[in-house]
Amino acid sequence: MTSRPGGRRGDLARLAPASLTVLVLFGGALAGAVRTSLVPLGGPPGLEAWRALVHSPGFGEAVRFTAQVTVLSTLLAAGAGLALAAALRRRGVVARSLLALPVTVPHLLAATLAVLWLAPGGVADRLLGGLPVDIVRDRAGLGIVLVYVYKEAPFLALLVLAGCGPALAEREEAAAVLGATPWQRLRWVTWPAVRAPLLLGSVIVAAYAAGAFEVPLLVGPNFPATLSTFAYEATQGDVVTGQGQAAAALLLVSGFSVALAAIAVRFARDVEGA
Amino acid sequence: MPLATARGRTAGLLLALAGALLVAVVVLPPASLVVQAFADVWRAPALVPQRFGTRGVQLAFGSGGAGAALLTSLAVATVTTGLALVLAWPAARVLGERRLRHPGPVALLLAMPLLIPPYAVGTGLTEWWLRLGLAGTAAGLVLAHLTLVLPYAVLLLLPGFGPGLRRLEEMGRAAGLSGVQRLRWVTLPVVRPTLAAAALLCALVSWSQYGTSLAVAPTRPTLPVLLLPFVGTDPQVAATLSVLFLAPALAALVVTVRALRVTT
Repeated sequence: MTSRPGGRRGDLARLAPASLTVLVLFGGALAGAVRTSLVPLGGPPGLEAWRALVHSPGFGEAVRFTAQVTVLSTLLAAGAGLALAAALRRRGVVARSLLALPVTVPHLLAATLAVLWLAPGGVADRLLGGLPVDIVRDRAGLGIVLVYVYKEAPFLALLVLAGCGPALAEREEAAAVLGATPWQRLRWVTWPAVRAPLLLGSVIVAAYAAGAFEVPLLVGPNFPATLSTFAYEATQGDVVTGQGQAAAALLLVSGFSVALAAIAVRFARDVEGA
Repeated sequence: MPLATARGRTAGLLLALAGALLVAVVVLPPASLVVQAFADVWRAPALVPQRFGTRGVQLAFGSGGAGAALLTSLAVATVTTGLALVLAWPAARVLGERRLRHPGPVALLLAMPLLIPPYAVGTGLTEWWLRLGLAGTAAGLVLAHLTLVLPYAVLLLLPGFGPGLRRLEEMGRAAGLSGVQRLRWVTLPVVRPTLAAAALLCALVSWSQYGTSLAVAPTRPTLPVLLLPFVGTDPQVAATLSVLFLAPALAALVVTVRALRVTT
């Protein structure tokens, strides 16, 4: 351990600019959202917005639909990401760069492409003379899931590939030399190396799928809404009470994502310790 | 032996098929945007537009306000990225060199903004921006984007720092280089690839923001905020704006490929 001028206090001082900025901005945002949900425009503070949210028609359906879209998108993206990573593990730079393209494409653009291609009258519709199923604006949220899988499977694949360095290949070879079957190598050598990046990446994907609203706004159905489109529509409806309800709905999604992340981190630690 | 070559041929064929599929899924849709952007008349079910023209460009930049939105997006992304990298650099250095005994709380703090819906961050900040006079301003946009870009900046800069760099810097110090000279001749050349990648991705995160920008500055639309309503109403204008919106992502891809080619 080499010491540096300033030592421990110096380290904390170097952490301060980034940490304090995030603390002030993010903490402020959170406090602002809580305040918006509790203090209505020109009224006394109270739980009115929360009550109105829970009792508003379509709220229960929005919770169910959000959960459905989030779980489906995350599981399918994780599965497809693993498959992509397995297929591209021994490929070169070009294949990986192609894989990186959807990661750099903004979600809104992927959703726009889905509409221009897959909606009735879109490019794919013309090429094939009609699509067998409705993908855009369908009630099951197929379009939303498709966009998220297109965007997030490559993201998860890149995270998994980052965990599969040359060191992992060496360990797999060593296991093979020691007589491990392919299944045993996968179970005891490969999987432990890719599990943590896959799990933590999946949490980010789930949080995004649960909370972002440009994708459901474009390719999702009018009903049911996701919680975030529900929040957006609330602000468009009633200017006075809408903001409070929107903030409450968004805080609900935030709470869900944080709880999920806490469980995932705990789980990642448990399996590492086992 | 013949069996082996047959198997090799099948594998090659499968690989070519997978490659073609990848190209079709990854390359074709963006290319179709360019066609749609210049398709003045494209009635279904024709596969090729009936008439090409610049109606989309004229509408987007005329009444659409694409020029102003493009400038806002570019300026906000540039300033946010610069600020984020400057603030993140010292923190990434401490975390990258693993000098912290308990990095948990800092990591948690930095991870939090990635878990909260961007629209929630925007809505919450708007509550204060209205009081501070920042609502609808470029500064308000930059600060809102910084909330989400700064954590990425720290995480992306982290791998650039480590014991190897420290040793090089010590050698520089022993050789009598001043602080500025060490930064210029030792630190920056070593960190440059990481710095470039971090800058690119941070700029992309800001460039792609939708929910935060909409909440904080609905009256000063960035490119994505301008684009969304056109998707349902005018596909040609939507495609034109999408091409503008996609350009940085393509640039990022080209730069990445070149960087990877150089390092491998």
